[in-house]
Amino acid sequence: MSAVATKPLLELDQVSVDYVLADRRVRAVDNVSLSIAQGEILGLAGESGCGKSTLAGAVLQILKPPAEVSGGRILFQGQDLVAMSREQLRRVRWRHVSLVFQSAMNVLNPVMRVGDQFVDMFKAHDRIRKSDALARAGDLLELVGIDRGRVRSYPHELSGGMRQRVVIAMALALEPELIVMDEPTTALDVVVQREILQELEVLKQRLGFAVLFITHDLSLLVEFSDRIAIMYAGEIVESAPSDVLFRHARHPYTNGLMSSFPPLSGPIVPLTGIPGSPPDLAKPPSGCRFHPRCPQCTGIDSSLHRLQISERPVLREIDAGHQVACHWVEGP
Amino acid sequence: MRWLLRRCCFYVFALWVAVTLNFLLPRLMPGDPAGGMLARMSSAQIASNPGIIETYRRMLGGGDQSLLEAYFSYLGQIGRLDFGISTSNYPTNVSEVIGRTLPYSIFLVGVAFILAFVIGTTIGMVAAWRRGGTVDNVVVPTMLALGAFPAFFTSLVAVYFFGLKLGWFPLQHAYDTELTPGFNYAFLESAFRHAQLPIIVITLAFAGGWVLNMRTVMINTIEEDYVAMAEAKGLPDRRVMTRYAGRNAILPPLNGFAAQFAGAVGGLVFIEFVFSYPGAGFTLQQAALGSDYPLTQGLLLVFAVCVIVANFVMDLLNVVLDPRVRTA
Amino acid sequence: MQPIGADEAAPSAVPLTVQQVPTARRRRLPGLPLWLRLLLSNPKSRMGLMIVFGMFAVGVLAPWLATHDPTAYSLLDAKQSPSWNHFFGTTDQGTDIWSQVVWGTRNSLFLGFAAATLATVLAATLGILAAYCGGWVDDLINFATNVFLVIPTIPLLIVTSSYLKSRGSLSMVLILGLTLWAFEARILRAQALTLRNRDFILAARVAGEPTWRIVVYELMPNMISRIAAAFVLVFYISLLTAAGLQFLGLGDMNSQSWGVTLYWAQVNSAVLQGEWWPFLFPGVALALTVLGLVLILAGLDEVSNPRLRKPPKQGRGMISGLFLGHGRAK
Repeated sequence: MSAVATKPLLELDQVSVDYVLADRRVRAVDNVSLSIAQGEILGLAGESGCGKSTLAGAVLQILKPPAEVSGGRILFQGQDLVAMSREQLRRVRWRHVSLVFQSAMNVLNPVMRVGDQFVDMFKAHDRIRKSDALARAGDLLELVGIDRGRVRSYPHELSGGMRQRVVIAMALALEPELIVMDEPTTALDVVVQREILQELEVLKQRLGFAVLFITHDLSLLVEFSDRIAIMYAGEIVESAPSDVLFRHARHPYTNGLMSSFPPLSGPIVPLTGIPGSPPDLAKPPSGCRFHPRCPQCTGIDSSLHRLQISERPVLREIDAGHQVACHWVEGP
Repeated sequence: MRWLLRRCCFYVFALWVAVTLNFLLPRLMPGDPAGGMLARMSSAQIASNPGIIETYRRMLGGGDQSLLEAYFSYLGQIGRLDFGISTSNYPTNVSEVIGRTLPYSIFLVGVAFILAFVIGTTIGMVAAWRRGGTVDNVVVPTMLALGAFPAFFTSLVAVYFFGLKLGWFPLQHAYDTELTPGFNYAFLESAFRHAQLPIIVITLAFAGGWVLNMRTVMINTIEEDYVAMAEAKGLPDRRVMTRYAGRNAILPPLNGFAAQFAGAVGGLVFIEFVFSYPGAGFTLQQAALGSDYPLTQGLLLVFAVCVIVANFVMDLLNVVLDPRVRTA
Repeated sequence: MQPIGADEAAPSAVPLTVQQVPTARRRRLPGLPLWLRLLLSNPKSRMGLMIVFGMFAVGVLAPWLATHDPTAYSLLDAKQSPSWNHFFGTTDQGTDIWSQVVWGTRNSLFLGFAAATLATVLAATLGILAAYCGGWVDDLINFATNVFLVIPTIPLLIVTSSYLKSRGSLSMVLILGLTLWAFEARILRAQALTLRNRDFILAARVAGEPTWRIVVYELMPNMISRIAAAFVLVFYISLLTAAGLQFLGLGDMNSQSWGVTLYWAQVNSAVLQGEWWPFLFPGVALALTVLGLVLILAGLDEVSNPRLRKPPKQGRGMISGLFLGHGRAK
């Protein structure tokens, strides 16, 4: 599963995103480094507010003020997106990197027919006749399991599940190399959720795109992605291939997350949670950001405890492809 | 569709209210309007039209019929479009006077108001899209300031500067007084020239309201998810501004257009007065000053009808432009 | 269960809000309701308030500010352009325009204020009643409102004043107030409707509070800023309308008022003779007052809709120039 040999498709190198407010800066994404290989599905999991959506916005460079990328590089096929001009970005967007938004409810223009919205997108990136564009739109709808006649429908005439499929179809339309999906199925019921994910698998096999799948539902990722990265308070705390993570998760937060969710299939296991709530990023805890809630931060081992409250842990590789940022894991 | 039908019913009802109001108003006022008016007519006028006393008593009250009888004969008259004879233009019919003057007003309002709407909403849209840009910081306050000045004041200033001092536009009336109205080139050309300044004034005076309205709605629309999606898709900036944000943002102001129309009709009266432009508004003012009640009543009804028609057209437009209304 | 080692109690959810509420307030005005404080701190509405208070001051101080008797004629002084003797010049009959404008302030402001009070009281009462009672009361009031909105006000007012034998201030105030209420009634009704379904109202009803108490003590206080906005709006509309009617010759032509001065200017074809002063000064006075009210209104709007407040100045980060450069703030 190692993508070391070939150049990664997307590489985030020490990326930080700040929200610049009138009197202070709040760091929502803190020195995050990730990479995604071609055709790979990387899952990014974490609680609400940990910075995952901000990261998604950063990758597509659609962050609005007061959010801004304050450091690092976002390399797509070797080119730094952060340093690109508006026109260059416009050409990269959608054709090479597309985004499936969080709630499909409001993502489609209510006064335009669905087909016309596809046409707009095609025309923005290619010289193409309207009739051809509409035909391709119909093809795409069929691809995601919607009757092609719906090209003439308005968004409010479609159900929630159908709208989400339309949004996915739009994301696939220009056959990008990378699709960023931000909670694509959260607003749907579990049955539809599973259908859509299965369709995505199939499509991925056919078209060969890579996916950055962002969600708070870890159990989905375990079934669906190749590798998983766990995010907490703006930092990556663990990253590993999904089967490895499932069986041998090391970071206390990851373990807490895993036991918070019932898996989609398999035996019934008792649920536990993680006490406390995510920190205020304007005033994050000193040292390890998870330490106030960590079951391994007990004060029994005083030197470990001192480390935990004063020094930020760094991502270190503890196994092939398995990285963790944790003082306790690294051992005495 | 059912909604349109309900609107229709409402308009018919509103029309009925306007007619009834016309009937009741003179009777509610202290004094005897009919008597006062008749006192102003010369005996020769009365002699030449024997039925006139009775007609006016019927219209304005003070006659020997009961209220209900008077009301029904009044309705009958209105139904036949018989508004009586205009006392200030004796012996011309009120309908004739209206027929002569209304087209000028419709021309003025039609062109100018639509222009004000288009220009105003475009400025509002661009100003909201580029907050803090030139349009937002300079043009918007200017338009607002212009709109704060009462319409008649702006007209006076315009007449003074552009008419008198700079001589760019004719000062008064709708056309050169030596010419006769008709579909000949000289007349049309003169009419067009004379209409320019009033149209410019109306546009400047009214555009400001649209600017503010559209800007506010646009600022809210820009936050919508579909605008963010359109940008993420790599669509050109201008297209997102117009087809995605603008197209949605324009729906509330469009509905406001209809409501504003009633106000526009009012403003029209002032502007015609300043320019001595012989439209329905100017005629109304002259009639009111001269206590020509048949004419004022007829004009009030006509104005009400115009506003109702404009409202109805807006409702139709709403159905066309907003697909969500069609299925409701 | 408190985790051991939790030196900082984890506070509430991460505030990744990007909506900025003004945090830096130079002057703390304790005790005043939030909306009033916001209004006073907003430069637009501050200026508006200053202008309007200035005008009121002129009206009150009129006897001391006027230099001449506003009704005095003097054919010797006729048609003079502004000078030290006559700050605003004189009319065709030799009356001093400065004095007319100064005295006229009283009348104009009074008409506007009184009509606005009447209209706002009507609008608030009917609007809230309609929203709170629902059913046929609502339908009836709605119908009335819509009808009034459809019948054009200025022509209606023109026709009504033409029937009046005497057009004194009281009649003017009455007819203005009775025609201008409809617009705001609809808006206030909409706001009352959203409030009606809020929990605190339901709680009051369940607790058995009588309707009138709920309306006056629970509903109204939450609508104050909107009612204030309604009042300001109708104020400037009635100012304009009253002046307009006078301008057309349909007001109380014997009173001192801005509109009346303008009427005489127009009737004497001042403009066509190149005399700009009889209409410029009263016009500017009117426009200035309206502008002041419009500014206050803009300030009140921003109070009720935080998104309209001026976006805070952004720090110019190193990459910000490359962003979607709309300068749009969230």
